[in-house]
Amino acid sequence: MRIWMLATGAAALAITAPAAAQQGGGQGRGQGGGKDKPAQVERGGGKAKDHAGHDGGKASVKQDRGGGSAMKADRGGDRGKPALANTKRDDRSAVKAARAEDRGDRGRGRGDDVRTIKVAKDGVRVRDLDDDDVLIRRAFDRDLFPGRGRGLIAGCPPGLDKRDNGCLPPGQAKKLIGTPLARTAFANSLLPSQYRNWFRDDDDYFFRAGDGFIYRVDRNDGLIDGLIPMAAGLGGLGGGYGGYYALGDPWPSPYNFYNVPQQYRSTWFDNGDDCYRYDGWGAIYQVQCNTNVVSSIVSLLAGDLGVGQPLPMGYDVYNVPLAYRSNYADTSDAWYRYNDGYIYRVDPTTRLITAVIDALV
Amino acid sequence: MRLTKSFLLVAIAAIATSACDRQADSNNVAATDNAAEAAGDETIADGLAGDRKFADALKAAGLDRTLDGPGPYTVLVPSDGAFEKLPAGALDTLMKPESRAELTRLLTFHVLPGTILAEDIGKAIDAGGGKASLATMGGGALTATKEGNAIVLADAAGGKATVTQADDKRSNGVIHRVDGVLMPS
Repeated sequence: MRIWMLATGAAALAITAPAAAQQGGGQGRGQGGGKDKPAQVERGGGKAKDHAGHDGGKASVKQDRGGGSAMKADRGGDRGKPALANTKRDDRSAVKAARAEDRGDRGRGRGDDVRTIKVAKDGVRVRDLDDDDVLIRRAFDRDLFPGRGRGLIAGCPPGLDKRDNGCLPPGQAKKLIGTPLARTAFANSLLPSQYRNWFRDDDDYFFRAGDGFIYRVDRNDGLIDGLIPMAAGLGGLGGGYGGYYALGDPWPSPYNFYNVPQQYRSTWFDNGDDCYRYDGWGAIYQVQCNTNVVSSIVSLLAGDLGVGQPLPMGYDVYNVPLAYRSNYADTSDAWYRYNDGYIYRVDPTTRLITAVIDALV
Repeated sequence: MRLTKSFLLVAIAAIATSACDRQADSNNVAATDNAAEAAGDETIADGLAGDRKFADALKAAGLDRTLDGPGPYTVLVPSDGAFEKLPAGALDTLMKPESRAELTRLLTFHVLPGTILAEDIGKAIDAGGGKASLATMGGGALTATKEGNAIVLADAAGGKATVTQADDKRSNGVIHRVDGVLMPS
């Protein structure tokens, strides 16, 4: 009887990976709107329109930069030393990127401008005007998780400093704002399944992913107006490798817009004094709107479960919230696991996460 | 003739299903309310009055608010005595402003997603042939085993903490008190 009930009652909520994949090239309505659009959403957290202004006036917006010379520069304190190099050319490019950061990204070398982007089997190869050839790994490998520290970080090779954000140094990330989506490598990818219920396309915006970032695109002009780094996040500016911001840290301007995942928007919304920001990695923070300084952590997010993915390590234990246990007890046909506001169904035989079947908020 | 029969069958099935749903639904609503009532109105943060060192650490990291929020979370709370077992000066250093990232990392290693009761861990240990892996919010995993009746958690370095008091149910999750501080790798 229970399975019947689930089948009928949950049909409206079940979202399976193949169905979600039909979302299409980016102009469609996607899964947006409907019952999940909370009334109080304030998206105005700061539509970041500044692009040229940040880096000493060098207007780089109009250049066709694709994914930029996305470097695997190690920012963890070893300035100038690349974290990982595939080829000698990667070394040089990574060093250049690190040096550019040292200069505060003023006057980005002309040679870093992208000449060609070629999609290869192992990823995207970006060749710049200096003829440096950089490999950007495929942002989303369906077999892997963007698990924080549990495996490969989305878009970044293993062994990379956890503080790196999506393989793109923040100075370069900033410059993507105000550019058209199409020019960014892999930018038309749907979000990884973990995030798909969190950032839904709606009448004003659509969300796509590439190079370890989620891009929010304004439907009016087709330009990127918000970035969420997905990989390990920036972590505290005071150093360390925790991945979390600390009290008092400033919120970086390229990521400063109201970006709280869908399921939490009715709980945390910008209200004039208090703003809320998701770090793309593991937490939602309260940030003082006028100073952009972190004042507390309001929620921790695991980001581990996504429809179509295998159940990751560490989720063998049943963790459904108490109030939902009578509805969703593990059976030999179905397991249930909770993550970030949603209850997921898992096939015990294949260990594949097959559907989102309930939402707590 | 055939049409009518099929129609009848469908109609009967529909009625049966909806009646079944209603009954099941009312049963489930009752069960749901009971579970929620048992947990009460107090959050995890409200329940830490006796765990001063952990509470102070949460506040320094800005996580006190988190454990007062909707969650739900499962929190392994090291006792004050557990913190005292750390090397001399270690906690003081962690509590300094410049160590905040590390402190947050340590604390989130003690927070698990969702609500996990002791019996859930026990079942997973049994199903896993003696051990189970538990994902933490901070990104690493803990290994759970049983020693007699007690649940023991271990970090990657082999550090151990035994659950001394399990299943303190709260409105936004559950607290298990432990006698050691676990270290993320």
